[in-house]
Amino acid sequence: MFPRPGRDVGFPVAGCALLFAVFLAGGLIYESFQGRAAERLVTVMLIDAIIVLGIQIYVGNTGVLSFGHIGFGAIAGYAFAVFAISPEEKLKRIPDAPFGLNDVLLNPALAVAVAIGVTVLVALVVGIGLARSGAESGAVAATVITLALLFVTHEVARNWPDLTGGNRAGLTFKVGAALDSRLPIYLCLLGALIVARLFAQSRSGKLAVAAREDNLAARAMGVNPLVQQTAALLISVAVVSVGSSLRVYENGSILPDDFFFNYTLLTLAMLIVGGRNSVTGALVGVAVMTIGRELARRLGQDGFEVFGLGLDAAPLDWIFRENLQTVFLGLAMLGFMIFRSEGLLGDWELDSWLWRLWHRRKPETQPEPLAEVAPVGLHAEVPHEGAALEAGDIVVDFGGFRALDGAGLSVAPDEVVGLIGPNGAGKTTLVNVITGMVEPAEGWFRLGERELTAAPSHEIARAGLLRTFQNLRLFDALTVRQNVELAGRVAARHRPGRHPQADALIGEAGLWDVRDRRARELDYGSARRLELARAAAMAPTYLLLDEPTSGMSDAESNEMIRRIRHMAAAVDAGVLVIDHDLNFITGISDRIYVLDQGQVISVGTPDEVQADPAVRAAYLGAESDTQT
Amino acid sequence: MTELAQNLIDGLGRGSIYALLALGVAVVFGVMHLLNFAHGELITVGGYVALWTLGAGWSWYIVTPLIVLSAVLTSLAIERVAFSRVRGSSDFTLLLTSFGVHFVISAIFLLYVSASVKPFDRPSWVTNTYSVGPLNIEVYDTVVIVVTVLTLIGTTLLLQRTMFGLSLRAAAADFDTARLMGVRSDTVIRGAFALSGLLAGIAGVFWLMRAGSISPSAGITPMLKGVLAALIGGLGSLRGAVIGGLVLGLAEVLLRSRLPDSIASLTEGVVFLLIALLFIFRPQGLVTVKHAVRV
Repeated sequence: MFPRPGRDVGFPVAGCALLFAVFLAGGLIYESFQGRAAERLVTVMLIDAIIVLGIQIYVGNTGVLSFGHIGFGAIAGYAFAVFAISPEEKLKRIPDAPFGLNDVLLNPALAVAVAIGVTVLVALVVGIGLARSGAESGAVAATVITLALLFVTHEVARNWPDLTGGNRAGLTFKVGAALDSRLPIYLCLLGALIVARLFAQSRSGKLAVAAREDNLAARAMGVNPLVQQTAALLISVAVVSVGSSLRVYENGSILPDDFFFNYTLLTLAMLIVGGRNSVTGALVGVAVMTIGRELARRLGQDGFEVFGLGLDAAPLDWIFRENLQTVFLGLAMLGFMIFRSEGLLGDWELDSWLWRLWHRRKPETQPEPLAEVAPVGLHAEVPHEGAALEAGDIVVDFGGFRALDGAGLSVAPDEVVGLIGPNGAGKTTLVNVITGMVEPAEGWFRLGERELTAAPSHEIARAGLLRTFQNLRLFDALTVRQNVELAGRVAARHRPGRHPQADALIGEAGLWDVRDRRARELDYGSARRLELARAAAMAPTYLLLDEPTSGMSDAESNEMIRRIRHMAAAVDAGVLVIDHDLNFITGISDRIYVLDQGQVISVGTPDEVQADPAVRAAYLGAESDTQT
Repeated sequence: MTELAQNLIDGLGRGSIYALLALGVAVVFGVMHLLNFAHGELITVGGYVALWTLGAGWSWYIVTPLIVLSAVLTSLAIERVAFSRVRGSSDFTLLLTSFGVHFVISAIFLLYVSASVKPFDRPSWVTNTYSVGPLNIEVYDTVVIVVTVLTLIGTTLLLQRTMFGLSLRAAAADFDTARLMGVRSDTVIRGAFALSGLLAGIAGVFWLMRAGSISPSAGITPMLKGVLAALIGGLGSLRGAVIGGLVLGLAEVLLRSRLPDSIASLTEGVVFLLIALLFIFRPQGLVTVKHAVRV
């Protein structure tokens, strides 16, 4: 099923070609009106576009704001310059270059390759720190590290004159040796577009977006965000390196300030104005901001006139007009963040739009409607050799509060087990322990022979324990179908065997009519069912459902019971379901564990548990008292 | 030994200023989850107030409270104009909003006074030193350390003993719960910005006394130091911010005097590298703050 050549490769590539053509045509038309003066502007815009697209790959797909990409650009720019500038020129600027770099000369294409290599290597090291701090303290810490990177590169460039030519001189190509043809820029821009778009459509890109939307939910379904974010970073940095090398080559020189705060502001403003989550948006942002900045510049010089509408600069004589460009950039960034933070286009993509337009004509056939017999394609066969889920002696302390005090349970394959207890009994904490989200102070749990006590969340999910959340964690910006398909992709990689088809699951969950809606637009009941379908798409060995009917009416609850049993049987999964509603739990479970104050106080069939005096005392205490 | 003692004193002086900056950053982060990249602009504004008032012949004794006041007012103003509109937004939006505020403020100065660096008179005692045994101690460092200690004591009293302080700490621990318990979000957020401005103002006075000049981009360095120090200490921890500031200051001074000459000019780079290593091995910063995510 993945990748689908037309949807995931063909259309995006065609869309990129179209975008490139329109973007370039716009530039060339402007040039033909304005003459040679505009040539440089268009060239610079094309190169900016490459760099902005490179930043988009990371920032857009991971949702982590990076100030550091221009720092990576500086590394690439210097690496390119050192290798591409002739030894005679280098002798003038950096006669004492370290590592014998003075005598090295590569042709520009090879120098770009070296620049990419060096920069990606640095990015790999930085990426580890980014990923680790991001996982621990959230995206904010990662952002500060990128900011620090920008300052380090600038500081090193200024203070290592033997390599960089320092703050004043910099590195310069021989007169006439700089880039004088636009062809390489065209090719690189087209390439950057395609790389950015294909990455977004790739497995890595989609999983990175899942982690962007909800890091915890992504891990709970087997995604390791660190891997996807690092992949995004490396590809992103490679594209930025190409753009930065071109920027140096076209400019004919490089100084520390060329790749610093102001350029970071410019490229980030371009990215967010157009819409950071979209490749099309990034390109639109580059165009809009280039035009806006040019107008601000001309207003700063002597006013301008466009289509008869003119602005005279004379009233502005009392300020330093040449700085209007910076004001414009700052205001654009602030304004968009306050009033339209998703940018002009949000996550609108040209090729996705064309795809929908193209396919509107042939409606899809609905899979077998919901019936007593499960629709074709729902059944899963992932070998699990009758592995039981067992946990025991689990102790969890939150500060001074002991949430679990030696609790344990076991669930057999194909069994539906209920876990019930009053609020605060430790039900959710137990599931959190079993899914690797809370580290127990003591205790163990395993799936069949496999010990999972110390495993990270994503490995537990890959082993076959899939959960839903009490407070609903869907990938809000993705459609119903994308939510389910994403789980299918993870399953295809990490759970060998036959998996349920996404469409069949969507039908089974009663979501077929809303399959192209975004998850955030769903009503509450549908969102609950989608979360169930998403977990089932992983062909789990066990489904762990945390209050799947909370907030539902009795009729809805009964319907949900039927669906859970049906779906679990179809994908051949055991079920552990948590609730505090006794009616619901007795209605769905084969066996019930009763938890109170962190300990299991009773186990048995629904009838046995209901008859157990300890349960009546602890759980139904108040009720039975009033009855007697 | 003497050299080490000398380094420690110099480092404490420098670290004290960083600590004040970091504490201001941490206070705002606590109530809004906003890492304020515009924090340094409070010093920029104070710098132009100093430039114009000193230029008019006023003495530092009058100018000092004016700098602090201008920082507080600017802090409140940017909360009202920008940050109040993005409360509760994603980290991404908050970060870029503060980045935008940073650029707009420095751009306003660019428009009015151009990018040039303008000097002003420093107080005469800034460069004076006195000797204690073999040590040469700057009057400036002494004043900085004393004032910082007093400020920290005052801030601690404010946070521990007043209703506002209690609300602020409660909000920093868990904003939603604090609101449910009756903490008024407007009051506590504005209070946090005022306190943040006050701390930046005091740090700014010292920063400007040492610099003796001002330019529209002067806020970048203090912002970076404050933000980094807050991060080193562990974002969200007020105590951590102070520790982070002192650690950063000491690290800079010690490295600059200990590194071989050939790379001494790269001190800042080395410091950043150490910070990066810190985050690889201890990603939560020096002082741990548990961010419990309810699932």
